[in-house]
Amino acid sequence: MASPSLAARRPEILLAGLLSLCLVVLSLQVRRPGGRTAGETWLLAAASPFVEAVTSLRTAAADAGSWASSRRRLLAANRSLTGEIERLQGELLRLRDAERDKTRLLELLAAQPAPPAGTVPARLITIESSGPFRTGLLDRGASDGVRVDGVVIAPGGLVGRVIASGPHTARLQLLSDKTAAVGVLLPRGARAGVAKGDGKGGIAVEYVPTIEPVEKNDLVVSSGTDGVYPNGLAVGRVSALARKSTLFWEIQLEPAADPRSETLVFVLPPVRRSDVQGGPAAGDRR
Amino acid sequence: MKALRVAIGLALAVLATLALGALRVPAPPDFFLLVVADMARGGAVVAATLGGLPAGLLEDALAGPQGLIGLHAFTKILVGYLLATIGSRTIVEKPLAVGGLLAGAVLVEAAALTFLLWVLRGDVLAPAPWLLLGRAATTGLVGGALHAASRVPWRQRREARRRMRLT
Repeated sequence: MASPSLAARRPEILLAGLLSLCLVVLSLQVRRPGGRTAGETWLLAAASPFVEAVTSLRTAAADAGSWASSRRRLLAANRSLTGEIERLQGELLRLRDAERDKTRLLELLAAQPAPPAGTVPARLITIESSGPFRTGLLDRGASDGVRVDGVVIAPGGLVGRVIASGPHTARLQLLSDKTAAVGVLLPRGARAGVAKGDGKGGIAVEYVPTIEPVEKNDLVVSSGTDGVYPNGLAVGRVSALARKSTLFWEIQLEPAADPRSETLVFVLPPVRRSDVQGGPAAGDRR
Repeated sequence: MKALRVAIGLALAVLATLALGALRVPAPPDFFLLVVADMARGGAVVAATLGGLPAGLLEDALAGPQGLIGLHAFTKILVGYLLATIGSRTIVEKPLAVGGLLAGAVLVEAAALTFLLWVLRGDVLAPAPWLLLGRAATTGLVGGALHAASRVPWRQRREARRRMRLT
């Protein structure tokens, strides 16, 4: 079937062949603007997809290499910058701590412009409040002049007292400890009472007769009669008030100095008995 | 036989072209086209196509643009094919029709040539219209005349004259 068809198409095939031959011969001779022959131009045009593909591959390979190199460089830079950021963050935290300490110190100095001799500034490192006892750890100890029964104060007020002193650290009992007690004075009638820790972070005042005028937000200060704490130090503000019985108030205090937010405290020397008995030194320690 | 005829025709075409060129005839007939047309008579497509190749190559050598061998070969092959195709489908016997057909072939060839030059070189190099028309006219005239002459029974007339002389 194919042979007759081809034979019938012979003139056309011959025509196409001869014309193509002429075109090829012509294209090899004609010079286009730019110096190339038409054949070269057509050849280049026909080869250009292949050339473009090869060029694209080479460009892609170069890009990939460049990308990998850039990635390595960026990763190294990223690691370096991450380290730098961490270092700067640490530095920032240290600076913030220093700023806070400075502020606290200024507040302390403002509250206690003339601290008594033997006053030791210290950091409240930890607070133990998980059990019934509420204690803290100071970064100063006996070698720094911190002694047992030393009074720990913060800018807000009384924090607690030193119950044990090692060479470089000391343990303090917070006012909110269940076994802590401090003699206090109520502001309106100068009536004395006893403030005890409730073991939950608060302080309760006992033995205040109901005839004594008490209001919420009254500032309760230490009375200095307990032989441990000097008088006049802020203990807390009345946060809740109720009649426990017909005789006494049930008074809840919010501590004047929150140990959880205090990092810098002062440790005053222990109170001497002579001070408790009405010496002027106790009152001067505010 | 046909090859010899083509060779003689082309030789005559070369001579005629050179002669008319020497005489500075402005629009000489396309003698090479006449040879191709002669090959295409009776619808001989293959012969016309094959004959167009040497005719065009010779014309390229004689009158083509410098360094472009194959330009007229292309057009002559094409025109030869067209003429043969027309000849195979129609009967063109009258000299006037043959002349018109040849004149048209000149125009077609000129158009193909212009197109080819545009494709190859990128610029349109159309011939002057009056020269083209003149060439078409002269080619048609000469072709028609030759066709008319070819239809005259020269042999019979010569035999008749010889017989008359003997009697």
